[in-house]
Amino acid sequence: MTRRFIVEPRGVADSWVKLAVPVASVVAALVLGAIFLAITGNSVIEVYAKMLKTAFGSWRGFSETLVSATPLILTGLAAAVAFKMLVWNIGGEGQLLIGAVLASGVAIMMGDNVPAVAAVVLVISAGAVGGALWAGIAAAPRVYLGTNEIITTLMLNFIAINLMNYLVFGSFSPWRDPDATQFPQGRPISDRARLPEFGELIPGLKSFLHRLDLGFVIAVVVAILIWVVLFRTPWGFGYRVAGDSAGAARYAGVKVSRTFFATFLMSGAAAGLAGGIMVAGVLGKMDPRSLELGLGFTGIIVAALARLNPVVVIPVAILLGALINSGPALQSIGVPSSTAVMLQGAILIFAVAGEFLIRNRIRRPDAVPTEVSEAEGATA
Amino acid sequence: MRGINKSFYGVKANDDVDFDLGVGEVHALLGENGAGKSTMCSVLAGLYRPDSGEILLDGEPVAFGSPKDALAAGVGMVYQHFRLVMNFTVAENLALGHPDVPTRLSEKDLVAKAHELGDRYDFPVDPNAYVWQLSVGQQQRVEILKLLYREARVLILDEPTAVLTPQEGEALFRTMRLMAEDGRSLIFVSHKLNEVKAVSDRVTVFRDGRVVGSADTVDATPKDLARMMVGRDLDLPKRSGSADRGAVVLSVRDLAVNDDRGLEGLRGVSIDIRQGEVVGIAGVAGNGQRELTHAIAGLRAPTAGTVELGGKDVTSRTVAHRIDAGLAYVPQSRLGVGLASGLTAEENLALKGYRKPPYAKGRLLDQDVFKSRGDKLIDDFDVRGVRPGLPVRLLSGGNLQKVLFAREVSQDHIVLMARSPTRGLDVGATEQVRNQILAERDAGIGVLLVSEDLDELLSLSDRILVFYEGKVVGEFSAEEATPEEIGLLMAGHTEEGAA
Repeated sequence: MTRRFIVEPRGVADSWVKLAVPVASVVAALVLGAIFLAITGNSVIEVYAKMLKTAFGSWRGFSETLVSATPLILTGLAAAVAFKMLVWNIGGEGQLLIGAVLASGVAIMMGDNVPAVAAVVLVISAGAVGGALWAGIAAAPRVYLGTNEIITTLMLNFIAINLMNYLVFGSFSPWRDPDATQFPQGRPISDRARLPEFGELIPGLKSFLHRLDLGFVIAVVVAILIWVVLFRTPWGFGYRVAGDSAGAARYAGVKVSRTFFATFLMSGAAAGLAGGIMVAGVLGKMDPRSLELGLGFTGIIVAALARLNPVVVIPVAILLGALINSGPALQSIGVPSSTAVMLQGAILIFAVAGEFLIRNRIRRPDAVPTEVSEAEGATA
Repeated sequence: MRGINKSFYGVKANDDVDFDLGVGEVHALLGENGAGKSTMCSVLAGLYRPDSGEILLDGEPVAFGSPKDALAAGVGMVYQHFRLVMNFTVAENLALGHPDVPTRLSEKDLVAKAHELGDRYDFPVDPNAYVWQLSVGQQQRVEILKLLYREARVLILDEPTAVLTPQEGEALFRTMRLMAEDGRSLIFVSHKLNEVKAVSDRVTVFRDGRVVGSADTVDATPKDLARMMVGRDLDLPKRSGSADRGAVVLSVRDLAVNDDRGLEGLRGVSIDIRQGEVVGIAGVAGNGQRELTHAIAGLRAPTAGTVELGGKDVTSRTVAHRIDAGLAYVPQSRLGVGLASGLTAEENLALKGYRKPPYAKGRLLDQDVFKSRGDKLIDDFDVRGVRPGLPVRLLSGGNLQKVLFAREVSQDHIVLMARSPTRGLDVGATEQVRNQILAERDAGIGVLLVSEDLDELLSLSDRILVFYEGKVVGEFSAEEATPEEIGLLMAGHTEEGAA
């Protein structure tokens, strides 16, 4: 029996590989999408051109792409921070929603009584706290009792969705907008608690960035901050050791459970912050239809494609933001908007499969062994 | 085997290797780690395909595409890491992958055959036992049984004694001799000279991927073989008198610690170690050594007793506190405990000190210090194979241990605790580690050395304590200790005790 191809681990993946594989996953997803579009009788070029034009073809389109990217940066961070530490938090969705619930709750409670800057800070922080608390519900039993956080975080998503809807649909809920007569809607929050748009701060930017608000800047700053914490602080070093091998971390004096817990809460806080920023920013209220877009789940795709690097999350989130942004425009040319969602899914599959190519290389068998005794290979 | 060449990543692991194995012969392969022994065996067993060269079996050229092909031709290998299914019984493991199961071979036949083979070669194994219930030595027997079952005529044993107690090792040698008398041929990989002398008929020495020589074992003196192996005369490190003993730096009082199953793993042990003293702990693995070192390091809370470092009670203090109090610790598992396998050598060298200056500067880490200190230690300790960004798991065992030692002895410390520090290392690396331990002692460090290698304990320790079932069952000074006495105590005074 001869093997036709042989797989072996790479020692150090070249940086071009680390870049090429994610790019190739996106391209492969687009090719797969093209095949699907062609089979369903659509013009591939027309659809992709339309998407590109919608997402990046105009200042309005581009600013909308960034608006869509803002929560994705944060949910992407939520997943990246967690997964690197082997915290399988897939509850970003629920944490985002609870963040929105708490943020809007705080905003509604404050009314017009708190000065603008403080109000915004409080509302956004409430979002982060909400997300962290929701993550904590899964984190505590995980750390102390060893429950499976994949199951608990996933289930908590559904509780969060229904809780949010309950708060909007419930007749006596303070979250419900008393003026929304046709369909229940979240109560609008005070303008003082709203994140300012770029156009409001610098009038000249209005015609370029339209309704993009400071939430985008906050998300970018948080991403950079998290990168610094993870890669440039003692805590982050302990975090990386614990994520690599818990045994070594314990041996080196890292408090592994505590680090795990903190990571879990940090992850939830990032997702909750996304909810808070949406409420204080573009939405201005807890609007279930605009919050339940699966942004928490899309964050997992962002994290995977960014290879869990907090800074790389930013461009990847913009890319996926473009997809989300361009989806609805496809309807105008008679293509279902879910095409964009399908592409997202395809990108995730290729990105995860591509990870294998980053870690391993595939060769013809003549030159290279099957199971390299790694030690032997790397010495000398 | 003729003219075998095999390269990994462009490094020649086997360079034009010729090797002959006679029928009914026990042929030892001797050489340092990475000398090419395991590579040649893996080629022979069909795991690797040679880049060039040929294998002749009974004069016929053969080409094995996989271990399955090799086994079908009667060539099988027992790997250092066993390939057994823990949740299966011995018989089920034997059945696994056997072509005659279940059509032509029933479970009853399997069990009967297992008994028969066990009797014939004097290594009884209960075929109905689950593998996880067996000791490492018994698991190894199952691996050998698997090969005998498939009628292997050539058996390759890759460092089989590394995991065995001395008694188990001798039992294995008996079995090997019996198999050889039965007309089977055995290849025995080792880097222990005395074992090679004890069991083999012929010996072939490897160095740097080449065969440097073959000889009948009776004609070869240990000194010659050692010289061939390392390419120079070997100085076995020897204690030179005793260093000045100072104050007690590590004191363990009536320590009791539970093992992973919640049973008493360590039962009321007291040890004092002074400055400039090496205290050796002898014992078969699993007699409380792990619990002792874990409790001292702070990885496991004792149920009773105290641990004092430098005169201060640290029994309830954290791991980090003990590191700061001067505990250096070389654990048995290099990867996964001593070193974070996915991190680089530089990062691993900072593993203990990263919380404090110079690594930490204010709230941030100083990347330049990581690099400069890392480079210096890598240089000082002659760590080879390091490349920027390379995860340490891709370094060889000897180099891993250098990284680990470099970190532990370069920090401020008063006690060095080491478990099996030379396990799996080649002669050169072993020598370096042993010299380092003696240098530590001479520098006034208190050393706690836990090892299963009696020769090592005897050559390095000032005092030896023997552990059996979580208790100290004997204490010897360096002068009065003999391997025989210690071996008996390790085995709990009975032959069976060791298994």
